[in-house]
Amino acid sequence: MLRLENIVGAATDPAISHRLHHLEHRGRVEYITLSPEDTRRRRLRAMTDCGTECAVVLDRSAQLYNGAVLMLDAERAVVVRMRETLWLDLAPRDAAAALELGYFAGNMHWSVRFEDEVLRIALSGPEQDYLDRLSPLLADGRVRRIDERD
Amino acid sequence: MNTANPEFNPATGDQRSPGAARVGIGGPVGSGKTRMVEQLIPRFLARGTNLAVITNDLVTKEDAERVRRSGLIDPARVLAVETGACPHTAIREDPTMNIQAADELDAKYEGLELILIESGGDNLASTFSLDLVDYWMFVIDVAGGDDIPRKRGLGILTSDLLVINKADLAPYVNVDLERMIREAVAVREGRPVLVTNCATGEGVDAVVDTLARAVLFDR
Ligand SMILES: Nc1nc2c(ncn2[C@@H]2O[C@H](COP(=O)(O)OP(=O)(O)OP(=O)(O)O)[C@@H](O)[C@H]2O)c(=O)[nH]1
Ligand SMILES: [Mg+2]
Repeated sequence: MLRLENIVGAATDPAISHRLHHLEHRGRVEYITLSPEDTRRRRLRAMTDCGTECAVVLDRSAQLYNGAVLMLDAERAVVVRMRETLWLDLAPRDAAAALELGYFAGNMHWSVRFEDEVLRIALSGPEQDYLDRLSPLLADGRVRRIDERD
Repeated sequence: MNTANPEFNPATGDQRSPGAARVGIGGPVGSGKTRMVEQLIPRFLARGTNLAVITNDLVTKEDAERVRRSGLIDPARVLAVETGACPHTAIREDPTMNIQAADELDAKYEGLELILIESGGDNLASTFSLDLVDYWMFVIDVAGGDDIPRKRGLGILTSDLLVINKADLAPYVNVDLERMIREAVAVREGRPVLVTNCATGEGVDAVVDTLARAVLFDR
């Protein structure tokens, strides 16, 4: 098992990206894909896209992110890819509904973003779980779901 | 081996240790969390794991005292955190006290490999912050009713490992254990579910194996 104990740097760092580019040409860059939730861990087991088993053991103060490079030498690199966060976008009908929705989302400890009149909930599990919880608000139109393509 | 530039401390010539793995144990009041800790301790010690424990209680040190008195582990390796308010606050919203306790154990015991952190009993929605733990299990019990998994509490859905404890009580509380397991597996979408009897220790070896694989990187 490959033990990875440090974030060497960011894939976007010019010096690092240059080296990654060369390794990539030789097929020597391996990726670990993680959910946004899993990037919050300091210690986890993961498999790269090439099938290498990794034990990630970071310092408590470290924080994984999209493009974190966990290994970089002449022969191989290992880079973290964070899966995109999926959002559930909700528009409350009026101020009363907005208060209710805000209170409810807070009570559920959901992570949210405010975008003008829309509350965006970051999904950390199946969307249906969120819709189930919200069903009373959705059912009578106090809150309306907004399609991403609206 | 790792060739990725380990942090090197020139002063001591040592590699900085990342500290022990931190595993959370949550679940409703009385589901058997402390009993689970008492079953885990001898098993981890037998496999040579350097271990410490943190327990959380509302306003007492009841669980810590119980584990210290158990004779299973050096009492100094058991710390108590008094949460004061809702137990979930200390493992999710503001886990500072627990993080401090874990840091203290890391500093005190060189080579410490694993810290078990028992949350105070809470409701089905309680979850651990990944700022505090690397991995967490949620312990529910058969006597709580076989509809518990169907209720899709956050702890049941999102924990890394779900343990259904007190399997021995199923016949006495009219619980269809097979169905309870089936439904738990279904709502968790592939995340592991294990069944234990922490009174006797039945099924606990599988919990040890799962934890050791996930955070101690065995096998
Ligand atoms: N029959 C049976 N009893 C159990 C089992 N596990 C725990 N118990 C009993 O259940 C009671 C509660 O167990 P604890 O381990 O104290 O539960 P807990 O989850 O730590 O409780 P709190 O910390 O107060 O939330 C105790 O009397 C245990 O002996 C089991 O698998 N079977
Ligand atoms: Mg307890």
